Amino acid sequence: MLDLDYSWLADPAYQSWLVVGVINTLKLAAISSIAATLIGMLGALALTLRIAWLDALIELFVEVFRNTPPLLQMLFAYFTLSTLGLQVTDPDTGLSMPLLSAFACAAISLSLFGGALAIEAFRSGIETMPRAIIEAGQALGYSRWARFWRIEAPIATRISLPALTNILSNLFKTTSQASVITVPELMYYAGQIYNDNFRTMEVMILVLVIYVTLVSILTYLMARLERWMAFPGYGKAAS
Amino acid sequence: MFKSIGFALLASTGLLTASAVCADTLDTIKERDKLVVGVKTDYAPYGYLNDDGEIVGFEIELAKYVAKELLGSEEKIELVPVVASNRIDFLASGRLDVIFATLGISAARDEVIDFTTQYVSAAGPSILAPEASKLTEWEQYEGRPVCGIQGSYFNKKMTEEFGMNLIAFKSQTEAYRALKDNRCVGMVFDDMTLRLKTLEPEWTDYKIAAQPYEFAPMGGGVREGDTVLKEAIDKAIHKAEGEGKLIEWEAEFNMPASEYIAERAKTAGAE
Repeated sequence: MLDLDYSWLADPAYQSWLVVGVINTLKLAAISSIAATLIGMLGALALTLRIAWLDALIELFVEVFRNTPPLLQMLFAYFTLSTLGLQVTDPDTGLSMPLLSAFACAAISLSLFGGALAIEAFRSGIETMPRAIIEAGQALGYSRWARFWRIEAPIATRISLPALTNILSNLFKTTSQASVITVPELMYYAGQIYNDNFRTMEVMILVLVIYVTLVSILTYLMARLERWMAFPGYGKAAS
Repeated sequence: MFKSIGFALLASTGLLTASAVCADTLDTIKERDKLVVGVKTDYAPYGYLNDDGEIVGFEIELAKYVAKELLGSEEKIELVPVVASNRIDFLASGRLDVIFATLGISAARDEVIDFTTQYVSAAGPSILAPEASKLTEWEQYEGRPVCGIQGSYFNKKMTEEFGMNLIAFKSQTEAYRALKDNRCVGMVFDDMTLRLKTLEPEWTDYKIAAQPYEFAPMGGGVREGDTVLKEAIDKAIHKAEGEGKLIEWEAEFNMPASEYIAERAKTAGAE
């Protein structure tokens, strides 16, 4: 028998911790999702230019950020990078402190991690373009740029959307790892609360419900976007 | 036979809860012939790793003494490293028999576990800050970033009462590092640990900036309702106090001699 006790939710301190936690989780997820999508688009776009050194550079970026755990990236940014230079002086204490806050470190590493995955998603969208469509564009006399913007990009975006949804919902959940470098997001405050009231089970269940709700909203919106953008043959058509 | 009747009675009155089931932990320990103890490994002088990588400390000696009293040999012990944020769960889930892990007595904890006798009266938290820091009163830390550890019992007081911007890390190592990086203006933690830290060569330009505001009793923890085990452990601790063992361990691990321990040794010895 689960003997759940949620009376601690009445404590104003816990309430404000939860609210601040959810807000910070949303902020972190929003910033890193937007940045990751932009990085993904720009990266995939750059890959279409077929410039050898640029391709190698993007390849290196993708390999480094896709193949390392985001937790490691955050710890690295927080404890290592920010101490190599990048210092500001705190006017109150006169001490020099690292320029990048925990939040900034988490946002940057999540953006780069998500961005690396998004480049691959958009690239696969461009590469799986049916050859026949490109040839049809050429036959109709489209220039290379016009063909890309008017034919390839719109189709590639639609092919990539489901993969992007996966990446963004994963990225949303990965924000919880920022608690390790003390970003006061939902998981961080969950830890603060159950370490204070020892209602581990209750806090975990609540946090689980909050994450399920938030990520469900995100995937719902992405599905709506997919449907709205759909055109015959590409994307989930409205039924 | 009698046991099963007892169980049936308890069950019928609706009293057969988790605490009743684990009432015979002491029997389990004796059957297994080993005491499983949750201890700290990063918390000098109570429980830490020496240069050979062995777990040593004041509470380790105490745990070994209890094992000797219960099972006849201080070798019949398994030391399980725990941290503040998991020790209660480990105990409650049955992975440990008892914890001797710098456990402060508090009403909230008393609701989920039972405490043994209080063998130490430790100073509560203080703040470690750079030598130059002018923040010597707790109130001065309002709105400022202060490093801490997740799971410390005073964390809520720090944010709600003193209004600190508490930056709580998973472990001490990370918090010390962040303090050195000036990510916080000070670090709030158990006073004795911080005092020992200032004796280390790399920490000489740091000081205890804000003094402890309270002294808190510390005890071992057993599962809620584990009364038989609690009494056996209390007896063992009492015996150790009477023999002056706790004073010996204080000296062995460079702890300042505390009045509390001396007083208890005297009372226990007189009996």
